[in-house]
Amino acid sequence: MDGMTYLAVGYFGMVVGIGLWTYTVVIRSRRLSERLDSIEAALPSEDAKEH
Amino acid sequence: MKPRLGEWLLLTGFLGITSTLLLAFLWAPSVSLDAFESPAAQRLFYWHVPSAWAAFIAFGALFLGSAGWMFKRSERMWRLHVAGSEAGLATGLMTVWSGCVWGAAEWGTPWDWSDVRLNTFGLLTLLAVYLVLGRNSQPDGIETRDTFAGFGLYGFVLVPFTYIATRIWAIRHPGPVVGTGDEGSINGDMGLVLFLGALSFTALIMGHILTSMRITKCEQRIFQVQQVLDKEVL
Repeated sequence: MDGMTYLAVGYFGMVVGIGLWTYTVVIRSRRLSERLDSIEAALPSEDAKEH
Repeated sequence: MKPRLGEWLLLTGFLGITSTLLLAFLWAPSVSLDAFESPAAQRLFYWHVPSAWAAFIAFGALFLGSAGWMFKRSERMWRLHVAGSEAGLATGLMTVWSGCVWGAAEWGTPWDWSDVRLNTFGLLTLLAVYLVLGRNSQPDGIETRDTFAGFGLYGFVLVPFTYIATRIWAIRHPGPVVGTGDEGSINGDMGLVLFLGALSFTALIMGHILTSMRITKCEQRIFQVQQVLDKEVL
């Protein structure tokens, strides 16, 4: 394989990999925040104040 | 939902890394054809060195978090341990992957089992694999945390060992090109791209650590709230 093509394939794989990783971290954080908000809303107010 | 600081840092870091790769590919000067077997693959250097730098930041966070949990029993420090191990795994894999791509092009083999730098860094990445997989498969508790924090503390010894490995045993991995005390072997344009890469990777890894700490905090809080709700039902 030509040197620059080899390099482009290597770079492309790394950019896609790091992009997917960044995306999953952000989405996981947001989903958990939403889940926490909804579960805290279900708590009786006394319990919610304790934490 | 309004983006938090960690998410801004992740986005900024990712954009910076993408710019670094474009600059490395299209703008950074070529190296001498005589000095390398595969001069084109040398451009991976602009990804490989900053990702290794980010890995050392991540393993530093892992060490701090492990020590903070061991000696202070701090929940915040435990979250730092978790974030450091995940960030160490991600950056460790990035470094190993880019190194293997370069090694395959330059040396004709992706890995050299006789090179100290390669093997100590490989062990560091395996340590992160163990910590991430182990924590996900074990129930959370003081004993589990102590075990993983112990590995995080003692495993950190591999960081300075990895750093000095090429200065003591120059086997296959190239020696340092920055911070050597002399002028080094990279010119101004190369140094600029490398600096942008280091800044971008630093932003990305700090963003990951902050976001990951928040994820762990949310998980812990959800667990607490579920216990309260279970008591209400029972």
